[in-house]
Amino acid sequence: MIATSKPLVSSHQIVTATKGRARVSFIGGRSFLLEAAGEFDLPAQRFIWALSHVVRDWADVAEVIPGMTNLLAIFTATPEDPEFIVGRLLEAWDSVPSLDLSGKTIEISVHYGGAYATDLAAVCDFSGLSDREVVRLHHDATYRVFALGSAPGFGYLHGLDARIYMPRKTVPSLKMEKGCVTIGGMQTGVAMLTGPNGWNSIGYADLQMFDPTSSTPALMAPGDTVRFVPDRIEL
Amino acid sequence: MIEIVETGPFNTVQDLGRPGYRDIGVSAGGAMDPLAVRIGNILVGNPQDAAAIEIQMFPFKLRFEVPTVFAVTGADGQPLLEGRALLSWCAYRAEAGQILELKQPPKLARAYIVLGGGIDVPVLMGSRSTALRGGFGGNAGRPLMKGDRIEVCALPQPLPLPAGGIAAVAPATALRDAFPVADDGTLLIRAIPAGEHELFADDGEAFWSQVWRISSRSDRTGYRLSGAPIKPVKTVEMRSHGVVPGVVQVPPGGEPIIQMSDANTAGGYPKIAGVIEADLWRLGQARAGSRLRFVRSTHAEARAVEQIVSRYVEDIERTSQMVKRALKAMT
Amino acid sequence: MSTIDFSDPATIAALTEALTAAGVDGLEVSGPVGQLRLVVSKGEGPHIRLTGGIGANQAKAVTVKAPIAGCFCAIHPSVSEETETLPRRVSDKDVVGFIRIGSVLLPVPAGRSGLLARRLAEPGALVGFGDPLFEIEPQP
Repeated sequence: MIATSKPLVSSHQIVTATKGRARVSFIGGRSFLLEAAGEFDLPAQRFIWALSHVVRDWADVAEVIPGMTNLLAIFTATPEDPEFIVGRLLEAWDSVPSLDLSGKTIEISVHYGGAYATDLAAVCDFSGLSDREVVRLHHDATYRVFALGSAPGFGYLHGLDARIYMPRKTVPSLKMEKGCVTIGGMQTGVAMLTGPNGWNSIGYADLQMFDPTSSTPALMAPGDTVRFVPDRIEL
Repeated sequence: MIEIVETGPFNTVQDLGRPGYRDIGVSAGGAMDPLAVRIGNILVGNPQDAAAIEIQMFPFKLRFEVPTVFAVTGADGQPLLEGRALLSWCAYRAEAGQILELKQPPKLARAYIVLGGGIDVPVLMGSRSTALRGGFGGNAGRPLMKGDRIEVCALPQPLPLPAGGIAAVAPATALRDAFPVADDGTLLIRAIPAGEHELFADDGEAFWSQVWRISSRSDRTGYRLSGAPIKPVKTVEMRSHGVVPGVVQVPPGGEPIIQMSDANTAGGYPKIAGVIEADLWRLGQARAGSRLRFVRSTHAEARAVEQIVSRYVEDIERTSQMVKRALKAMT
Repeated sequence: MSTIDFSDPATIAALTEALTAAGVDGLEVSGPVGQLRLVVSKGEGPHIRLTGGIGANQAKAVTVKAPIAGCFCAIHPSVSEETETLPRRVSDKDVVGFIRIGSVLLPVPAGRSGLLARRLAEPGALVGFGDPLFEIEPQP
């Protein structure tokens, strides 16, 4: 199976969303978490992308980690006055314009159903839909990479059809295979590591998405568009 | 070149980690006691961030295939070179064929073997650390195994080592005043309240006041704590966000988890506190079963402790070079 | 047996003159309780240094000297309970004490095998290069 990546040709929408308030909290001495209030949606995430581009250029910032409608900024040193940092972050949040990252498009071939789709039946039960319908809704949608995290190269994909939202498991699968195509709450993604996983697997994709020896180790980047293409449907 | 003669599982090559890639899901990793790696590297004449061997499962034995300057730092045991007891936190020279042996240290968790020149494995994303979860970095992305032979970088123009070696006063002794321990031996770990602290209401106070025990289900990824569970007054749906080592999260069961060096890069559990970075090496040296209490701290205190540690490291860097030069001039 | 009084400035002056005349660069005399070092430096006159007093010369005993100036530690700073036991047998590579400079420790090896008989410097004292720290009696 092959991932094709081509320039994003879809139109850039005019975003009229208003920005919610944000709050900033601490993780230890030099990490500050800004969380946007409001919806978990693309307009909110575009502000986060914009904020991460602004903050990562600050001279006293070591690292920024965009999350799901939030941003962790790690500074180079513990600041003398943390409230001053909080003020700077909130000010930057209030002033950033929306940024629509024009990423690449990645097509991922998926084998839906079969041995790796260990949770497809549970998704059907929860949604009240047939397995065929669940699979169709999953590959009909177009997804955006909101952020990467949790495992090397793992992209949190936004754009899941609300009819197939599926809560994370309370008891994680102890050994889910790398490559499983999964649903976790309102998000979907492809498992990057074999191991414990609380998301729900409905298929499998055989795709190298992380290469530590590459100058760009992760295939996905925030803003990328992802489409799942059914290679085989085994129900 | 060195050869691993005996090792337990989960001993790995580590340096100071690969921060800067958490935005693509890569943990920073690196030594659980970075201070021990920095001091060891200084003593043998390396840059502070050269790669070392982190040993958390004992006994451990290696053979030097060529004459090598080395130091064992971190834990409180006595390393043995050809059966002869050596000092920890001291640089020595081993001859070709000699065997270095580390036994279970009396109290602490992790020892570091630092070699003149540093361990030579490929640098991936700016670091030689082993990323166990990702299966890359270090020695082929896996723990060391018996029979592994590992290259050591050449040390450019090293200053000669004094005949009796050169040592550092361990941070636990030199910085005793800056790193307090309760009278009963309970580790006091300073932390700053984090985003969901208020959600824990009265249980928030129980978090600070009780003595927690580090559970046996603890590793380089995180330490699980045992104690009276603490619960938030309401459950909140958290969106995944970036986290760093030291974050103290409270999963639904109510027993906190401290994320350590191989911390996941993202988290979604309510976080009650964040351990100050200067105290993380002490956690890295705490064994399963040991007790700790969190002490509410501030950014000002975190900065003050960081500065004390910086001065200590700078003093050793400057003074050890001065001593080596002076002794070289006299001989 | 008579001993020369090295604490007498007149004696030292006489000795210095004799050394200079003989073209000798320096002289060092060590005893169990002190050490005298005379260094004749060109143009500036003799440099005289006296540490402690000089007692009877014990021909067989050897002193372990400070390899560098610093704070003398008879035991490792991280060891709190262990007390030093003297006299005790040591071998040449055994560390008998330390010179501490800030947070750096320079281990002082015995240098020869024998009986570590006496400590000649007070723990915690500032010592100079070459100051005697221990006395070792060679044993067959």
